[in-house]
Amino acid sequence: MFAVELDGIWKRFPGVVANAGATLRVRPGSVHAVLGENGAGKTTLMNVLAGGYLPDEGSVLLDGKPQHFTRPADAIAAGVGMVHQEFRLIPTFTVAENVVLGSGPWLLSKSAIETQVAELADRFHLATTPDREVWQLSMGERQRVEILKALWTDARVLILDEPTAVLTPPEADELGRITRSMADDGRCIIFISHKLDEVTSFCDEATVLRGGQTTAASLPVADLDAGRIAELMVGEATEVSQRRNRIEPVGDTVLDVSSVVVTDVRGRTVVNGVSLDVGAGEIVGIAGVAGNGQRPLADCIAGLTRTTSGRVTVDGNDITTDKPSARSAAGLAYVPEDRLGVGLAPRMTVTENTMMRSYRRLSKGPFIDRSAADAETDALIDTYNVKVGQKKSPIAALSGGNLQRLLVGREVETNPRVLVAAQPTRGLDVQGVAAIQQLLVDQAAAGIGILLISEDLAELFALSDRLLVMHEGRVVGTFDPDDATRADVGAAMAGVRQTATAGITVEGA
Amino acid sequence: MFGYRFVRRETPLWGGQLRAFLVGLLIALLAGAVLLVLAGHSPIDVYSKMFSSSLGSTRAISSTLGRAVPLGLAGLAVAVAGSMGMWNIGAEGQIIAGAIGGAWVARLFPDLAGPVLIPAMLLGAVAGGALLALGPAIVRSRLGVSEIITTLMLNEVAIRIVRYLVNGPWQDPASNNFPVAPILPEQSQLPTLFERANIGVLIAAVVLLGVGAFTARSRWGYELRIAGSSEQTAEYVGISLKQKVLTVLVLSGAIAGLAGGLELTGSADRLVEGVANGWGFAGIIVAALALLRPSGVAAVAVAFGAIQIGGLAIKTQGVPSSIANILQAMILFGALAAAVFGTHTLVRSTASTSVSSTTAAGADA
Repeated sequence: MFAVELDGIWKRFPGVVANAGATLRVRPGSVHAVLGENGAGKTTLMNVLAGGYLPDEGSVLLDGKPQHFTRPADAIAAGVGMVHQEFRLIPTFTVAENVVLGSGPWLLSKSAIETQVAELADRFHLATTPDREVWQLSMGERQRVEILKALWTDARVLILDEPTAVLTPPEADELGRITRSMADDGRCIIFISHKLDEVTSFCDEATVLRGGQTTAASLPVADLDAGRIAELMVGEATEVSQRRNRIEPVGDTVLDVSSVVVTDVRGRTVVNGVSLDVGAGEIVGIAGVAGNGQRPLADCIAGLTRTTSGRVTVDGNDITTDKPSARSAAGLAYVPEDRLGVGLAPRMTVTENTMMRSYRRLSKGPFIDRSAADAETDALIDTYNVKVGQKKSPIAALSGGNLQRLLVGREVETNPRVLVAAQPTRGLDVQGVAAIQQLLVDQAAAGIGILLISEDLAELFALSDRLLVMHEGRVVGTFDPDDATRADVGAAMAGVRQTATAGITVEGA
Repeated sequence: MFGYRFVRRETPLWGGQLRAFLVGLLIALLAGAVLLVLAGHSPIDVYSKMFSSSLGSTRAISSTLGRAVPLGLAGLAVAVAGSMGMWNIGAEGQIIAGAIGGAWVARLFPDLAGPVLIPAMLLGAVAGGALLALGPAIVRSRLGVSEIITTLMLNEVAIRIVRYLVNGPWQDPASNNFPVAPILPEQSQLPTLFERANIGVLIAAVVLLGVGAFTARSRWGYELRIAGSSEQTAEYVGISLKQKVLTVLVLSGAIAGLAGGLELTGSADRLVEGVANGWGFAGIIVAALALLRPSGVAAVAVAFGAIQIGGLAIKTQGVPSSIANILQAMILFGALAAAVFGTHTLVRSTASTSVSSTTAAGADA
């Protein structure tokens, strides 16, 4: 008998199949790891179990009994608790108030609930302070409040979605002890992670997802080695699509990043001394599991995040302290990861979005020459094959592929020397992916240097001239895509140290 | 909660603003007719009176336009801030500050000729409104303090200041201790345009249409709308948010201040405590009905003015003022609800949609 049984789960979203017959079986009293790359369908599958999504097909069983969750409250009532990546706590409430929120007694006596929450925390050896307000707590403490919330509703199944992403190493070890004590109490813990060392030290069994399907179910972690897990996560090398022809020789260096350090608002070092260069006509790929510093690196090159130390030059000009518009003038184009939130204005019209880079040039005095902007928009739509209904309708009505063609097209039209493209094909359908990849290849052929940040290894292998791997804010390896295997790169992504072999050089940690 | 929720339409309804307003008006008039019948009045008589007194003659139209001036300027003040995603809830206070500024100029230079005094008073009014908005503008742009709270609280401050002035240093000695300032010099009053409307209607029209066209067509207005759509996108395009926030809120206050100045040089002949008369708050409704587009404010202000004038007129016709007020509120409510339906639609919520709006943004679906 399994505590949790998910069978043949299908979940489709517009343009994306997130789960394609995924399966998961978890024994009671165990800590079970769910592994997979970003986009493998882990979070969707967990949301199906936690009542967030109704699956299109497939069954959910708890202790052998079929369940039909239409909302999270159903799952909570059935004993499933989930700790999301972003905590859902009310900062101005105390720990105890947050724990009992939604399921506490009708009349709250502060001291009574504080005592009860303290007792619950003691039972599972969770260090907490019931009377402190949540905004005062560290990330690790907040996570324990989330876990207490689940225990308060007597969750028999507890899902932790990438729980260690926000924790310091000692906090992560503490979490390992907590999950073990909960498992010893007969509960089962589902532990979503990218980090192999945690899986091997905290978990009993592991299930691996790839492309929405289960590639390995309930493997005992004792039998696993990192190379095997990496292979299961990223797939076989044979999947690599047609490799583009390399441009030889690579031109002058157009982007030079040297010893860049970026510190985030919480004071954590998210980019830790990255150096790289991109030549004219070259595509340099950056691989890495999400959250290992790729996004802050891209934002820092584009000028959206302050560079704590280090230097960024475009075509020999130091742009480290320039504003984003000055960087654009210096020859830098940026396709941000968050297309609608950073690159485009969703409620504005097609023309208003296409003229974002050119309106200063198109202005006569204080006014924008709308007919010139319209003409440029028509040309852009035509050149980059963007399908739009009406130029006057809000851009949010366009499909993901068309939005991205428009965004990439707009950036390329600024005649840049360097294009930084962050996750340019994520979430697009097959034709959209092919069109954007072709666009990037064409631009490289035209002599633009491209820094391609992606989580899609097949894409990186097909397009890159050089492939860098980021892990915990550092570049941990440089690969030649012609010689390296996906397993090598996958292991580097997972933080496994590599001995130098043919085609692989290992730098730093 | 009820199984339904509002979702923004991908494309607004065709002719959204005008059609929404007319549909809302129609529904409200039908519902109001029921109310009037229950209260023992003939809906046809009451509605025809409302129409004839607000739009039925040149005299009626002049009243409506006069009323539309403060409504339109207050609405513009709110809409200009709103097109950048900010809420200036302080137009009421800024109108008062504008009136104080204008009255101060008249006190200092009572002997100036009209063609000099009036523009000077209007400039004083603009400065007064801008000054009251400056504080909120600075703390919002430097520290991120919500302009909603600060502008709202400054309303109270402005009311206390004008109360102090008309009860204290500026009190008219000839007023038998009434809380009013002295009557303004005769040459401070704007010339009549026609019937009851004065030149202020033209001034307001120029400002409304000018600012409306400027925000719609200029680089500045375009940058404003990008900033209102997404702050990160604005940064990415290279727009200075701090500077935009500052200028927009100060401009918003200046426009509201002008409304106070036009009151003083127009229908009011002296500074009184109630100089703003709720127009600053009504301006929020005007701006909302114009969907926060400065270019739409003028038309809404005239329609709103007509409803207010019509509502006043029926009170003199034996309809109790409470019924008249309810009727006005229903019309506004109907129009406002319809305006929401112009850009939003109701959909049934399901488990998957309700989650996708809250969590799936961060999910690796």
